[in-house]
Amino acid sequence: MWAYSFMQHALLSGLIIATICGIISVFVVLRRVAFATHALGHMSLTGAAGSALLGSSMITGQLTLNLICAVIMGLMGNKIKKNDLAVGVVLTFVLGLGAYFLFLFQNNYAGGVMSILFGNILAVSLAQIYLLLALSMIILIILLIIARPLLFASIDPIVASSKNVHLRFLSVVFFMLLALTVSMACQIVGALLVFVMLIIPGAIGIQWGNTIFKITAISVIVANFSVVLALIIAYYFNLPVSFCITSILSFAYIIRPLSSKLQKFFISIS
Amino acid sequence: MIKCKQLILGYQKPLNKPFDIEIMANEWLGIIGENGSGKSTFLKTILGILPPLNGTITVFGKKPGKLNKLISYIPQEREINLTDLMSGLTLIKSSYRGWQYGISLTNSKLHDHTLELLELVGATEYMHQSFNTLSGGQKKRIYLAQALINRPKLLLLDEPLADLDPKAKQHFIQALQEIHEKHSLSLLIISHDMHEIATHLDGFVHFKDGVVHDCRDLACSKEDTYVGI
Repeated sequence: MWAYSFMQHALLSGLIIATICGIISVFVVLRRVAFATHALGHMSLTGAAGSALLGSSMITGQLTLNLICAVIMGLMGNKIKKNDLAVGVVLTFVLGLGAYFLFLFQNNYAGGVMSILFGNILAVSLAQIYLLLALSMIILIILLIIARPLLFASIDPIVASSKNVHLRFLSVVFFMLLALTVSMACQIVGALLVFVMLIIPGAIGIQWGNTIFKITAISVIVANFSVVLALIIAYYFNLPVSFCITSILSFAYIIRPLSSKLQKFFISIS
Repeated sequence: MIKCKQLILGYQKPLNKPFDIEIMANEWLGIIGENGSGKSTFLKTILGILPPLNGTITVFGKKPGKLNKLISYIPQEREINLTDLMSGLTLIKSSYRGWQYGISLTNSKLHDHTLELLELVGATEYMHQSFNTLSGGQKKRIYLAQALINRPKLLLLDEPLADLDPKAKQHFIQALQEIHEKHSLSLLIISHDMHEIATHLDGFVHFKDGVVHDCRDLACSKEDTYVGI
């Protein structure tokens, strides 16, 4: 199966996205911004639809809208965790706008826009992989530069602020990295799957790891493993890759609580 | 170390009349007063988080906020986002030069320094235990070790003794005394339990009815000040 170039491209792009998502995911979970991440994924659809309507490339619209929303979310700083309602209202408005754009676009081919929602990892071109690699390197380098203050600000924001760590600046940079990740990954794995890749690996990491290094390592390994396994299963059983990745990650997430429940059960009956 | 001239504290409304005070290096002062009298606002002004409404304040000869690397702050209320498996060690190590951008490799010196501090505050026993399962007193010792990790010259503590049982209070005060002596650290501590700590202090700053009293001189005896608070 790996002899086919479409499978090689799928594997390469999947591994790149899994690695970046695996790392960002840890901060999404630590900073408790899962809902904002979910919103960014869905806003991609509106950005893409708006772009398609104007006749420009979908990634332009996605990136523009996602980055604008990311800056707004970032400026909200710590308040975003307590403002699920505000994020929800903006999300529904933007989604409604996306539906309107699709309605205006109905005479044209809307399949390309809809692929933003579900992605198509089996149709990745070599040019897309190069773009993905370049964007991933940028995200990774910026993340390495801000990792220390970002971790401090994520774990202990009040004390970090007293040490002159710029919480708002870090929050904006983090959301911009998140927006960049969502925009590039949506092209390949879809808005729905990007959300899964940005939440579950980090959530699994915190279930098993007790240091930030271990949590990140587990998160990246789990994300990469799920991509490889999903591609194999999808290929042999003719299933959608997105469905396979989602199922594998969801199953991996319940292993820990399930095993501790079973352990307790066996202790109680013995 | 800290010089205040005609200082007025507050968010929008002034909390006090103008006051002058000079706090010297290696002093351990208590800050007392009723709720809302401006004690925590004073600490935030020293850190540069809040600008003074009027007057001037210098910290280590500079404007507040310029040399916060030399100051550690233990706030009264805080939000700690550690996961269930993370220990206090993670909190302490993530604070080590946490303001610096760029990559840093974990060095053995940091680990040794962390262990030394945990021993000093008496928290080695539970340093690997999940932080979220620790008692209030145990967490406060971890906060103390965290505050010392960057080798500060000044430590600001906002109600560190609140919610501690008498035994935990005694342990915490002993740890502070040891740190004060061993590291020549200046301490400013807000507390409503001054009778517990009074004998260790060099004096008080008393926020009362909008007037800030410098209670280090004979005119303001310690006993008169803390009794009745």
